[in-house]
Amino acid sequence: MNEFGLLLMAFVLYLLVMLSGFVSFFKPGQKIYRFSYYLALVGLILHSLSLLVRTVQSRQAPFTSMYESISFLAWGCVLAVIIFERKYRLEKTGPYLWLVIVALMALASSPALPKEVRPLVPALQSYWLWLHVSVTLLGEAFLAVAFVASLLYLFSGEKAEGQNEAAARKEKLDLMAYRAVAVGFPLFTLGALVFGMIWASKAWGRYWGWDPKEVWSLITWLFYALYLHTRLVYGWKGKKSALIAVLGFLAALFTFFGVNYLLSGLHSYT
Amino acid sequence: MASAWRFLSSLQLAIVLLILIILLSIVGTLIPQEQTPDFYRQYLPGLAGLVSFLQFDHLFRSPLFLSLVFLFLLNLFFCSVKQLPARFKRLRARADENLGYGASQLDKKASLKLGEWLENNPLQLVSLFRQHGYRVRLEQPSEQKSFLARKGLLGLFGPELVHLGLIIIIAGGLVSAIFSQRLTLALVEGQSEQVAGQDFSLRLDRFTTEYYPDGSVKDWKSLVAVIENGQVRRQQVVEVNHPLKHDRWRIFQVSYGQDWDRAWLELEVSQESSPARVVQVKTGEVTPLQNGLQLRVVSFLPDFQLDASGQAYSRSPQPANPAALLEITEGGQAVFSGWVFYRYPELKHYRRQSRNDLEVRLKNFEAPPFSVLEVSSDPGAGLVWLGSALLVLGLLAAFYFPYQEVRLVQRAGQPPTLLVYARKNQAAFWQEIKNLLGLKSIKE
Ligand code: HEM
Repeated sequence: MNEFGLLLMAFVLYLLVMLSGFVSFFKPGQKIYRFSYYLALVGLILHSLSLLVRTVQSRQAPFTSMYESISFLAWGCVLAVIIFERKYRLEKTGPYLWLVIVALMALASSPALPKEVRPLVPALQSYWLWLHVSVTLLGEAFLAVAFVASLLYLFSGEKAEGQNEAAARKEKLDLMAYRAVAVGFPLFTLGALVFGMIWASKAWGRYWGWDPKEVWSLITWLFYALYLHTRLVYGWKGKKSALIAVLGFLAALFTFFGVNYLLSGLHSYT
Repeated sequence: MASAWRFLSSLQLAIVLLILIILLSIVGTLIPQEQTPDFYRQYLPGLAGLVSFLQFDHLFRSPLFLSLVFLFLLNLFFCSVKQLPARFKRLRARADENLGYGASQLDKKASLKLGEWLENNPLQLVSLFRQHGYRVRLEQPSEQKSFLARKGLLGLFGPELVHLGLIIIIAGGLVSAIFSQRLTLALVEGQSEQVAGQDFSLRLDRFTTEYYPDGSVKDWKSLVAVIENGQVRRQQVVEVNHPLKHDRWRIFQVSYGQDWDRAWLELEVSQESSPARVVQVKTGEVTPLQNGLQLRVVSFLPDFQLDASGQAYSRSPQPANPAALLEITEGGQAVFSGWVFYRYPELKHYRRQSRNDLEVRLKNFEAPPFSVLEVSSDPGAGLVWLGSALLVLGLLAAFYFPYQEVRLVQRAGQPPTLLVYARKNQAAFWQEIKNLLGLKSIKE
């Protein structure tokens, strides 16, 4: 089985998980819930195998091209979602998270992204590449969970009926976003900023150079610092907090896509 | 004084500064940095004046940006200092002190249960908490019993560690900005050069470029010797990602190139009267041909192009369109002068020749490769690594090992009080402690 076939199979399973999640909005049931949970696990295993096969065949880290990075980010999101499902029960938030995963998988498997293995330029041949990118993407996967929870918060209006239930649900979304940031922020700090600086100092002789990609990671990071502090000290919750978390993730997305395609700098290897 | 202190240690300032720094940083990535004034006049015609007035062409080292960063540094410092007394107070507090958090009124049943526990079996209480990873202190002078269990002492200082780490990182950045030195050397094999202002020189002993099968560069390897007082102090292969360390200096492989000014050419010269002959010539040198002809390679361009005024120049250092400017003389008279092209041997447009039987072709070319090395010293880097370590440690402590404590105090003849405090998520911790102590019915 080749790596792309495995990826497509995982994609189909994730799609099923998402669909069964949305279906259970109308027909809630334990059975369908357990079933889709196991589907998700099988999908994660297939996806992991896909990454593994790719790594073995290319003898490179499985996140050196756009296709690989997006697949890895999706993998991280699946991991984050499964962990959150087990610990906190995602309930009606789950399917929306799977929607993001499905979108990432669709992007990864689309023909627009070249799949062939391209040899690495000298600067990328480093074990810091492994640490820097994997920890950063894993952090971003958790920040994606916070993003979805915050978006749902912002879009779930004040419903007249079932006031209490709606309020409780919003409270839970708010808490979920915070918990996800509490995992994602330290990982992002370590991966993007600290490992990034160490690697830059080894490869380029300076740990920081105000390169657009560096600056955008910093911007992303500052947004989450803002999120934590307005929340901790002003007790901002709900709307304002959610808005900052959304902006922070948009900055992360821009770092990931925008900088490569729109701004030029040392980091644009593609 | 007091108001300056309040201002500098306030969180409002932190929020404002964070927002301003975010906004300026965004601007700094949208406007390309460190370009020439001409660049801005061309790409941002209406805004060039504003860009230069606000110094947005070098935003990240402009006084505006630096003063914001400096203010942020002060803010971080004073803010952390402000928090410290409360933290230390908590760290050192006696078991029976109520620090204003989590005091609770126990209902009768719970009160009785805890009182009895403390009275008859305090060691069981101690071991219960120890099992759950708490450090426990039990004091029982006759008039009062007090019990203190806590964990996550580092977590108590988590935010302060994070902030201290940041302070050190920013300080390291300032040190780097002021004191770091970077010099670039380009060396061909066998060449050595003194590092400007330093008492050592670098010699390139061997330089190889490795390629992937598709022709792209896989690696550059420079065997570099560091020479001090005529002695080789160390010799090591320098590759990208594998710099050489020498005292406070690090030597990096940054790039490579070919010294086209010293190119060797292989030319095929034919005259009507005699068979074609291949000669090897070096750029700049004069080589005698047959029949009293003299050939000189005036210059060599790897990527020939004409500019607007008709001047030849090389568009890139890559050998995309190699061309050599030749001059052939006969008895001091030029009989051939002009360009010959590697890819277009028939192209005669760019030459003048008085002897039409003379034909020259550029068959091959080669230039000595040079390695571009960067010698840099950065006294701020150590601080940045130290700060990063504290930052990460602090984040771990703040988010994963939050400080938690439980105090149980009973004065002789009175019901016990239970004080519970967690730096994070107080409510969940309350629940946890209630479960641990088997007190479902505590009223708050
Ligand atoms: C980019 C800069 C900053 C970062 C990354 C940062 C990071 C953090 C983190 C991770 C926490 C712990 C959050 C938690 O436990 O949920 C924290 C708490 C805090 N920070 Fe910052 N911080 C920054 C700047 C500042 C500044 C400039 C100030 C001062 C005005 C400040 C004041 C505080 C305060 C008061 C707390 C709460 C401490 C407590 O829990 O009692 N921070 N910070």
